[in-house]
Amino acid sequence: MNSFVKAACVGFISLGVWSSTALAQDSWWKTAAQPYQGATIRGISESTPASKYVEQVLGPKFTEETGIKVEFEATSWDQMYDKAIKDMEANTGIYDFVYIEQDIVYTYLARNFLVDITKTLADNAKIASPDFKPENFTTFLNYFKDPKSGNVMGVPMEAFIKPYLYRKDLFDDPAIQKAYKDSTGADLKPATTHDEYTQIAKFFTEYGADKELWGTTVQASSSHPAAFYEFFESIAPTFGVYNWGINGTTFAATEANGGQMNSAAAKKALNYWVGLLKYAPPESTSSTWDEVAGTFAAGRAAQGLVYGENAAWIATDESKSTVVGKVGVSLPPVEAGVMEAAESGKGYIGYYDGGAFGIPHSSKNKDASLLFLQYIGQASVQTDWVLAGSRIVMNSTYDDPKIVDQDKKMNGYYTLMREDGKLFAGAPPFPFHSQVLQVVAPFIYKAIVGEIKPDDALDQAATAAEAELVKLGYRK
Amino acid sequence: MRQSNIGWLFLAPATLILFVVGFVPFIYILYVGFFDWNTNAIDPTLRWAGLQNYRSLVFDTTFLNSLARTLGFAFFVVVSELLSGYVLARALMADRLWGRQFFRTIHTLPIVVAPIAVGATWRLLCVPGFGIVPYYVKLWFGIDYNISTNAYHAFATAIIMDLWHWTPFVTLSLMAGLTALPKEPLEQAQIDGGNKLQIFWYVIVPMLKPVLLTTVFIRLMDALRSVDEIWMLTKGGPAEATRFIGLHIWINVFPKTDYGYGAAMSLLTLYVTIVLSWLLFVAMTGRKGGAQ
Repeated sequence: MNSFVKAACVGFISLGVWSSTALAQDSWWKTAAQPYQGATIRGISESTPASKYVEQVLGPKFTEETGIKVEFEATSWDQMYDKAIKDMEANTGIYDFVYIEQDIVYTYLARNFLVDITKTLADNAKIASPDFKPENFTTFLNYFKDPKSGNVMGVPMEAFIKPYLYRKDLFDDPAIQKAYKDSTGADLKPATTHDEYTQIAKFFTEYGADKELWGTTVQASSSHPAAFYEFFESIAPTFGVYNWGINGTTFAATEANGGQMNSAAAKKALNYWVGLLKYAPPESTSSTWDEVAGTFAAGRAAQGLVYGENAAWIATDESKSTVVGKVGVSLPPVEAGVMEAAESGKGYIGYYDGGAFGIPHSSKNKDASLLFLQYIGQASVQTDWVLAGSRIVMNSTYDDPKIVDQDKKMNGYYTLMREDGKLFAGAPPFPFHSQVLQVVAPFIYKAIVGEIKPDDALDQAATAAEAELVKLGYRK
Repeated sequence: MRQSNIGWLFLAPATLILFVVGFVPFIYILYVGFFDWNTNAIDPTLRWAGLQNYRSLVFDTTFLNSLARTLGFAFFVVVSELLSGYVLARALMADRLWGRQFFRTIHTLPIVVAPIAVGATWRLLCVPGFGIVPYYVKLWFGIDYNISTNAYHAFATAIIMDLWHWTPFVTLSLMAGLTALPKEPLEQAQIDGGNKLQIFWYVIVPMLKPVLLTTVFIRLMDALRSVDEIWMLTKGGPAEATRFIGLHIWINVFPKTDYGYGAAMSLLTLYVTIVLSWLLFVAMTGRKGGAQ
């Protein structure tokens, strides 16, 4: 009897504590959102697995809890920038929160497009959620801090590395291993050098001639900036060419003036990358990041560099991917000395990509938007978001049992990201991102289609980049 | 006098709208074209450049190539659409053609499809590796058709796509013109012993000239400013093989935010379009002004 009473008391107390906590949490969002009842906030983002989760799950959930309606536009990368930048330039206030990709944040900061989140929350404690803690985020948050004040200007919503994916089932197949050994004299294992990578690509292209299988993916659209990004952010660094080959102090691009864009290492990198097209499926010259993921998921390539945002669905979603359970993950192949440079913090081996949501000054619903940004910045909403979009922005998420379980299905992608994420880096802090991209990219396209040789392409690209930087006033 | 005032009153709303959406932006572009203005520059304000933007354009091979490419594209599509549109119009007017009403409806459908959707559809048809066009071109003709590596394939595909989209418009215009032609001159020409070619060249074409002129001008101006379809199909590639002038200006003005230079490009393109239209008008009418 006595034990029954004790157990009942403990049960009631637990129930009381749980319900009061739950009610308190519910009531905080409701109370904070009270002045904005019925308001509609509009956001825009690139259509990615992570942003679709915001559109389909987090937005409606926030509306349910607060009464603030969220209209979310997940569109193409080009359209997203076009619309968001025009809106902020014209100060029209169509969008209340915008996607800030890591590489464009410096432009947005330079042009003073964004609201200072830290300061706004400090000035308006009523809308500062106790569950939003910047210290919970990984160091990826640092990319979205104002370098001058250290204040947060965007709330990270996705972060991932661009790893080397390979077909584990093929690499582990004894018959294929033997054929590879017979053909090359080497053991078949994930490549650690560019020569090994090329050799594997060549082997699988020959092996897969009648199987719709090629040796590698290449993100080499001959008319889309995706090609520029793959080369300068994923390939060139593995040859020791960093920051697009532009000197961050003098803004020189040519080797003659102290840049690296047309250095011997950069030329070697571009020759290597363009050379891989021989071993890539025909869609490669029209592939952006999405198509590369699609190619790998369709089982048309034995290996490739694939953005991590796609890793989860490629490895686990049978409704979209034909290679579920067959995906291996590793670090990208590098030239000699590059890994050591990355480990010592003097270089990097690939791109640490992602983005945040920020609030433009032009927004007409800043406070309501800030509530939403804090809502998606809670630790409690992260796990399911990761499962849907393979993006991790908080340290605690790595240890969640669901994530640990998914990590196993993804051949340790999250472990790789956690342990070796430091070897990757975001884009250089250039506020002239789009301008240089537009003048350099056409030369990369020309090299892809064979209109000019890779060496000439980089010579011309470096000269054009410098001319543009002179025109913009960055270089004298 | 009162009648004249009432006339102006009725015209005022349209005139005002035209002034605001046509004349004001034109003046603004004219103004901006004299400045060096990039909002991502160290100095993001307008800096006086005089005629420097126009001078740079004359030596800008990318711009000149883009302009030449656009003129080539416009020539091909306008001539092809005019010829195929005329043939189709005559065919659809023939009483003996079975199912012509049905075909007329089907044939007209592309006009109502948005250019962006046309581009996306053709992209799906032609994408290397997956599209049915590369598949069948390879199967039937043994050609490795690839719009992302072969400049000729991409350019030809852009022309064919435009033909598919806009020939129905030309057909409808010419059908309207042909239907409205008086029968007497045609009968007279037949009585006088003219053959079909002579009747076409000396009777039909002169009488159809106003419709032809209107149709050619509309299509020419459309072709010179093709952007959305091409953007969806090739994004201007491979490399710059289909970077027509509209797309080139868009890239300079929006992603590159080079407003001054972009404005100068726009004005020069407008000038070329006007000159071209005037030359065409003179060539087709034999007069230097005063359309009837």
